[in-house]
Amino acid sequence: MSSPEILPQQRRENPDPQERTTPIPWLVLALAIILAAFGVDYISHAKLDTPASWGDGRSHSELAGNKPADGAKADGAAIFASTCAACHQATGQGLPGVFPPLAGSEWVLGKPTTAAAILLHGINGPITVKGQSYQGAMPAFAASLGDAEIAAVLTYVRSQWGNAAAPLSAATVAEVRTQHAGRTGPFSGGDELKALP
Amino acid sequence: MSTLSILMSAFVLSIVGLGFFIWSQRARLTDSGPEASEIIFAKGEIGHPEKAIDRTTPQAVSPRPDEAELLARVRADASSAQVVFFFYCCAFVWLLVASAAGLTASIKLHSPDWLTSEAWLSFGRIRTLHLNAVAYGWAPMAGLGTALFIIPRLLKTELAGARYALLGGALWNAALVAGLGSLAYGVSDGMEWLEIPWQIDILFVAGGALVGLPLILTLLRRTVAHLYVSVWYMGCALFWFPILFFVANFPGLHHGVEAATMNWWFGHNVLGLFYTPLALASIYYFLPKLIGRPIQSYNLSLLGFWGLAFFYGQVGGHHLIGGPVPGWLVTLSIVQSMMMILPVAAFTVNQHLTLKGHLSALRGSPTLQFICLGGLMYTASSVQGSFEALRSMNAVTHFTHYTVAHAHLGLYGFVSMVFFGAIYFVVPRITGREWPWPKLVTVHFWLAATGIAIYFVSLTIGGWLQGTAMLDPSRGFMESVHATLPYLRGRSVGGALMVLGHVIFAVHFIGLLAGASGRAVQPSPALNAATGDI
Repeated sequence: MSSPEILPQQRRENPDPQERTTPIPWLVLALAIILAAFGVDYISHAKLDTPASWGDGRSHSELAGNKPADGAKADGAAIFASTCAACHQATGQGLPGVFPPLAGSEWVLGKPTTAAAILLHGINGPITVKGQSYQGAMPAFAASLGDAEIAAVLTYVRSQWGNAAAPLSAATVAEVRTQHAGRTGPFSGGDELKALP
Repeated sequence: MSTLSILMSAFVLSIVGLGFFIWSQRARLTDSGPEASEIIFAKGEIGHPEKAIDRTTPQAVSPRPDEAELLARVRADASSAQVVFFFYCCAFVWLLVASAAGLTASIKLHSPDWLTSEAWLSFGRIRTLHLNAVAYGWAPMAGLGTALFIIPRLLKTELAGARYALLGGALWNAALVAGLGSLAYGVSDGMEWLEIPWQIDILFVAGGALVGLPLILTLLRRTVAHLYVSVWYMGCALFWFPILFFVANFPGLHHGVEAATMNWWFGHNVLGLFYTPLALASIYYFLPKLIGRPIQSYNLSLLGFWGLAFFYGQVGGHHLIGGPVPGWLVTLSIVQSMMMILPVAAFTVNQHLTLKGHLSALRGSPTLQFICLGGLMYTASSVQGSFEALRSMNAVTHFTHYTVAHAHLGLYGFVSMVFFGAIYFVVPRITGREWPWPKLVTVHFWLAATGIAIYFVSLTIGGWLQGTAMLDPSRGFMESVHATLPYLRGRSVGGALMVLGHVIFAVHFIGLLAGASGRAVQPSPALNAATGDI
């Protein structure tokens, strides 16, 4: 086998490196012990008593979020924006043929107790709004919104986009809630709602 | 049993196990023969720093190296020269691409209206292009090229199957071109470090496997009984990376929170278990080589290597502090991040012992300057990273430019610096040509060093101010943005110096290829006296 040519660069360099067996300095060993002690200390002080699924360093109060304190005023506009506007639109006009309008709607401006009942239990059936027929699919909010919040959002809806109906009180909503306490499903449409007292 | 006691006992048991394992390596409990770890010095090796050589008549004065050793080295180089050259050429291209993309992204952060006409030039894409061109272009091409050069030398064996590596390198680069193209076009897998679509990743896997194959073949044919520490690091990097890359990119395996956890398991491990070992192996090879003194402590090498191998795999979780991942996982990763100080200290002390009393060698060799600065930055960035993982510090620095400064201290100040030095050493040996304009090496060094210093200091301050502003509920979010502006401009200045350094580096390489110095059979005295480049 022919040897390759030896380059001057290869000739002038040092031989490939090797290792000596100098012992590990005691300072490095001391560092190892200190670090291991730190690890034990850090783990022993870690707050790991919450379920793993909550996430790192989360407490129950953080995850529960800020519930409005008793007596605090619910913000109807904010509730509308987060809960209603996706279907009924920020303009309150709905989507023609799909989601009924709230602006000028006879159901919004009519009996406040009926409007509250719709929000509490929802609708599943045909309903006519401003002369146009819709296949209603309104969700129920009895479980997710409190009386004050339903009153606030209804008051907001009844006063926007040219609507000018009287505000609702939380007490009215509470009354409607007890009135329909036994109800398990949504209203079956406009006809059933018209029959409400 | 509570989570706490399980975690505690796992930690304590594993530390004790690791200590016993390292001790058993030293006590040769796992060796088959007593000679296997015996240290053999080549003749004339000790006490002759390269600097001492009178370059006017190198043959006459230099300690006559063991001719057999020299011949083995020459054979090893001849077998690897072609493939190493290919990898280095690719590294140069990706270095320039990554530099341009990085500087563009940096300028956009303080001049957002610059270059807005094309979608691919928008910040979200150009930053991603920068990251991927560094992560899968410059760093692996330079690192793998250096590994392909060093491993045959240390095993005193010709590189077996260099053609596979060449084909693998070609596939890898084709994949990277396709990957960057798809990112520029706006097609991405949507996870940091794993943006390149998984369909293209198949090419990377195939290319990477083909690059790894010759190294395994060479290991099997080695003619040395003792594996030098650099071989451990490089061999393991080539073993770890495919596992990381394959698991992380396998489609449909991880979802939701699991995907985020896996994302940072990969993102952090690719730094610590791929680039870091490649660069550490280069330091372990070039530092003793250049000063002509053996690495001082095999024991510290063992501690540094096994510590890295053991602790590093678990540190990725500190990217998810306060996130929706289990608290025990984050706690363990914080502890292991701090434990990383141990292997870092072992490495640092080992290099210090080796360099002690031989600092004067630095003056003569630019390669050594790059390597030593890189080694120092490894210590600095690793210790900084350990403390950054602590919750108290992380609360301020997470989601700020501080982290970006830290990442560049590691991947530029450490890894890239070391690879620059390695390339300056290796290229003359695989091409048979000298660097034509030695002064440019010094210019490159100071541009890179000054650039990263400005870059790091500005972003560290800016990032800290940003973090404190974001934590203060009485200040608006925009205040935290405005606070960083002067520092972002500073970063662009530092970045521009770095880019200029890279351009000079590339021009110098082209000059070498174009034969500006010609083939110097007898190196001119003036040239070597000026650089001390070997």
